[in-house]
Amino acid sequence: MCSPEEAALLRLEEVFSETLTRINSLVLQPLLTAAPDPSDSWGRECLRLLQQLQNSSQQLCKVTEESLQSLRERLHHPDSTGLESLLLLHSADRVLQVHMEYIDSYTSCVVVQAFQKAAKRRSEYWRSQRKELRQLLSGMSSEGSVGTALGQALRQPLTHHVQQYVLLLLRLGDTVGERDPARELVVHAATLFGNLQSFMRQALDQALATQALWHTLSSRLRDVLCTPARRLLQDSQDSPVTVTPLRAERALLFDDALVLLQGNNVHTFDLKLMWVEPGQDGCTFHLLTPEEAFSFCSKDPEGQVAWQWKVTQAVCQALRGKKDFPVLGAGPEPSEPPTCRCGAYTFYAEGRFCQATYEGEWYWGRPHGKGTLKWPDGQNHVGDFCQGLEHGFGIRLVPQASEDKFDCYKCHWREGSMCGYGICEYSTNEVYKGYFQEGLRHGFGVLESAPQAPQPCKYTGHWERGQRSGYGIEEDSDRGERYIGMWQADQRHGPGVMVTQAGVCYQGTFQADKIVGPGILLSDDDSLYEGTFTRGLTLLGKGKVTFPNGITLEGSFSTGAGRGLHTQGVLDTAALPPDPSSTCKRQLGLGAFPVESRWQGVYGPFGDFIRAGCPGDLREALLGFHVQSSRELRKSQEYLCCERTHPEDCVGRMEDILEELLQHREPEALQQYLRKALSNSLHPLGKLLQTLMLTFQATYTGIGANKHLQGLAQEEVKQHARELWAAYRGLLQVALERKGQAPEEEEDAETRDLQVHGLVLPLVLPSFYSELFTLYLLLHEREDSLYSQGIANLSLFPDTKLLEFLDVQKHLWPLKDLTLTTNQRYSLVRDKCFLSATECLQKMITTVDPREKLEVLERTYGEIEATVSRVLGQEHKLPMDDLLPLLIYVVSRARIQHLGAEIHLIRDMMDPMHTGGLYDFLLTALEVRGRGGGPRQKSPGRGGRPLSGPRHRRGISSNSQLMCVSMGRVLTEPLLLPLFKGAGCGDVGTVHPGSQLAGAEGVPGCIPEHHRRGKTPFPCRLWLRPELET
Amino acid sequence: MMAIRELKVCLLGDTGVGKSSIVCRFVQDHFDHNISPTIGASFMTKTVPCGNELHKFLIWDTAGQERFHSLAPMYYRGSAAAVIVYDITKQDSFHTLKKWVKELKEHGPENIVMAIAGNKCDLSDIREVPLKDAREYAESIGAVVVETSAKNAINVEELFQGISRQIPPLDPHENGNNGTIKIGKPPSQAGRRCC
Repeated sequence: MCSPEEAALLRLEEVFSETLTRINSLVLQPLLTAAPDPSDSWGRECLRLLQQLQNSSQQLCKVTEESLQSLRERLHHPDSTGLESLLLLHSADRVLQVHMEYIDSYTSCVVVQAFQKAAKRRSEYWRSQRKELRQLLSGMSSEGSVGTALGQALRQPLTHHVQQYVLLLLRLGDTVGERDPARELVVHAATLFGNLQSFMRQALDQALATQALWHTLSSRLRDVLCTPARRLLQDSQDSPVTVTPLRAERALLFDDALVLLQGNNVHTFDLKLMWVEPGQDGCTFHLLTPEEAFSFCSKDPEGQVAWQWKVTQAVCQALRGKKDFPVLGAGPEPSEPPTCRCGAYTFYAEGRFCQATYEGEWYWGRPHGKGTLKWPDGQNHVGDFCQGLEHGFGIRLVPQASEDKFDCYKCHWREGSMCGYGICEYSTNEVYKGYFQEGLRHGFGVLESAPQAPQPCKYTGHWERGQRSGYGIEEDSDRGERYIGMWQADQRHGPGVMVTQAGVCYQGTFQADKIVGPGILLSDDDSLYEGTFTRGLTLLGKGKVTFPNGITLEGSFSTGAGRGLHTQGVLDTAALPPDPSSTCKRQLGLGAFPVESRWQGVYGPFGDFIRAGCPGDLREALLGFHVQSSRELRKSQEYLCCERTHPEDCVGRMEDILEELLQHREPEALQQYLRKALSNSLHPLGKLLQTLMLTFQATYTGIGANKHLQGLAQEEVKQHARELWAAYRGLLQVALERKGQAPEEEEDAETRDLQVHGLVLPLVLPSFYSELFTLYLLLHEREDSLYSQGIANLSLFPDTKLLEFLDVQKHLWPLKDLTLTTNQRYSLVRDKCFLSATECLQKMITTVDPREKLEVLERTYGEIEATVSRVLGQEHKLPMDDLLPLLIYVVSRARIQHLGAEIHLIRDMMDPMHTGGLYDFLLTALEVRGRGGGPRQKSPGRGGRPLSGPRHRRGISSNSQLMCVSMGRVLTEPLLLPLFKGAGCGDVGTVHPGSQLAGAEGVPGCIPEHHRRGKTPFPCRLWLRPELET
Repeated sequence: MMAIRELKVCLLGDTGVGKSSIVCRFVQDHFDHNISPTIGASFMTKTVPCGNELHKFLIWDTAGQERFHSLAPMYYRGSAAAVIVYDITKQDSFHTLKKWVKELKEHGPENIVMAIAGNKCDLSDIREVPLKDAREYAESIGAVVVETSAKNAINVEELFQGISRQIPPLDPHENGNNGTIKIGKPPSQAGRRCC
């Protein structure tokens, strides 16, 4: 059976539906036909609002129809359809929603007085319709304007309807049994519509207050402030407040903004970005906005409470984005607005952020968290913010003059400026990877020009306040030069070494990019010049040339009249070949750049990281990150991406790293741990090693593969090992500290050296080995080539012949090892004796670890002794008299090509603890190979190549006192070589004394092929003019 | 604990005078003989007490053949002491000894302690070098001198004791730069490189 309440509901809906239809035709339709003046923007706005109202009305109509339908269904089939089938019950929320939308549209119209305005336009029509209207609004007073009447007509039926809803639903609720499942629905619907009544009341009150407000404001203010959706919540005229420090005669709280009025000045604050803070005394509270902070002060505590409550709730409501239901402050929890918010804001105050728009996370009035900042000029910043400033990782794009070109900074920021590690890609295609401080390059960094740039250039080194300063390597591939040395204010300044493509290198003191004072100049044919010269390699001033054969030329050099070089000085042709360590093996830069501070910019940030206690958030800023192929990324417009390994990646989490570190402290585990750590670029130690490798390569590969740099490289590798050990110790201390354990005692120098040489160096060496060994190869190239030539000669010797040649005592000859076939004789067998020792020694080149190489060596001795003992049939201890010839035998049979380089590398990298000990002895014994031990070659090395024939010594008479050399070209390029070569080695065969111009032009052999830069070989003329012979 | 000082000692002298025999005798029967690493008879170590120090001798044998003479500097560089051996039955070997002394004076490490050993004193009946000559010579150059017999173990210990006595005690303030090596402490790098 259907209850009478349901029947009443049915009737209610029927009436309402009908009313809506009538209202539509009688009121809404005529209102809409009153087309406004096209120039009247407000009129158009009103029309839009009325259309919206009509839409809402239609929705309302539709939902009423549906409700009606469900009621009829129920009426006809009360048994098959339950109470819950009623639309009003099962979709109460939807019905409510439609009602609320209608109220919204309606109140918007009220605020802008849309009815009045539209009615005015067709006042005559309305006058004629008065009767119908009165009929519609039964019991309505006839007073008031048409507009008011229309407003009432559009509101009253709804109010009445909702009121009836509540009444009937409540009654229905009483009839439904306690247990009935539909009961809950009925109660819910009744509550909802009850609330809707409050909502309507409040909405209407707000709308009327707002409408009244617009009336009282000047039209200018109204134009600025009035929007249909805006509602007044609180007015300082009703509840007075004083605002400080901003001056305001009136404060208006709207549902979306707080407005302060002072004369004609309007200050609008978005509620979404407003933080409320209670004051100390009972009458004040503070408001915080992105750029302003001010206080509201009321006369009495009640006023303060009202204002503060209203503002707080308005902020909450604004943040939720929809009206509180049923009334302000009754929204869902929490009733306090969150302190962290998201929002957009455009700054207006003068300063860095002026006119920039920030969109992202906020905290107490300031950008804080992740966000994007965009400037009107196209600059933008995406990244982390803190306390209103860029802080943490961020990507900044700075547009450049030409279109579509940006400077892109992917950096760490601190308090608004770049600080820590970053990568900057400039629109010029230059890339800087390194550290910043206060927005400027500072610390270690690499600046590289685009590879296709007209003057490719690369600087690897230290910076200070944006300028190159301190130790740095600059490669100028266009000039074929690499400068290794000190900088100041972007100029070469202080001690420096220059190596060139042509093989010439020099060391000098620079001042403002120029060489000052005497320096050392070395050519690749091992001529040496000590004296003053220019960067263009023009000898200028006093100096001394030492040629590889020992001849020296000491005097003053100058560029002659016109083009060329003149020397006046003493030529000493009687000197002995020079000491190799001062010429061909001279090491440049030693002592000029103390190895401890050479790469301070790389070690430094690691130290800072340790001292800060290894915080995860600073890890990347201090240790750097990787970006792969970022150039492509930028081109693909996805410039905001940055392929860096996220610091919080689980692989490299600092806690795990430190934990693991603590668990591997016993020697063997430690070695394994370090090996793993150093090879893992996500590990701080591995990262550090990588950067060090980068600097090493920048210094010693390519042009830098110069034998005169071996000393620098060697001490650098050792220093790196020391620093890595210190880094490990630092991490260990932090790990212990975090665990609350006592820090390790400071180790003494001995233990440290032991660990560095015994543990770290062998682990680190492979990373630098290829560059380092190349330098050793170059340095010992001459002896090694001589040696291998000697070996080649010896390899033709049969075993017995060689043993005899080396004076090995006959009873030690391992003839037992020789098994002869029928047509063989002892005297012909080769490579059979001491085979085990030979093969053992050959294993030396299979490892880079000096300690392992030494162990190989030790085993080789063991093999020799074992062989001898076997031959003699008893244990035999070899004295040196016997051992040395045997060793030479084995070494020559092992045919290790670069043994000299190997030996020197081992010796340099060997733990100094072994000095004088067994390993030292082993190595010294091995050194015999090049020195007297080998086959006695009478050739004295290339450097000592005799003057080609004595004609030169005779030609340039040994007592010629004065000499003038000039070259047919201004020396702007490294042209010194031919001069050295010609005068020194006698390659210029046609030079005769006494002839004014006896030079040779383009003498073959005079200019090595690789010195010819470009297509034209340079002409070279040499004048020798003996004068004033005594 | 007594401080251990490592002392590099090189053996010089003609081939066949018994350089390695002296060392073998000195090192032999010694309890840690099996523990200390050796290279045949070419490299041996032995630790002896001296005063309140322990001297660990690192004894480097050299090849006596004339053709290897040029290698000698590599061996005696960094030595604290040199034992120069001659054969009392061979006048020639005494001449060679003088040459070695001269070379050491000129090119050897500063303050190197020199000890002259006239070996094979068991064969004094065929002696060619009178003890007096050796004594006088040694005195003139300020060297330790003893006649030894490696075969009969005569004066071998004394020879090395003589060296120990000549080694200046370690100055606590200064790490002696006289070629001695404190264990684990590298000596100054000077003179290590020799190309």
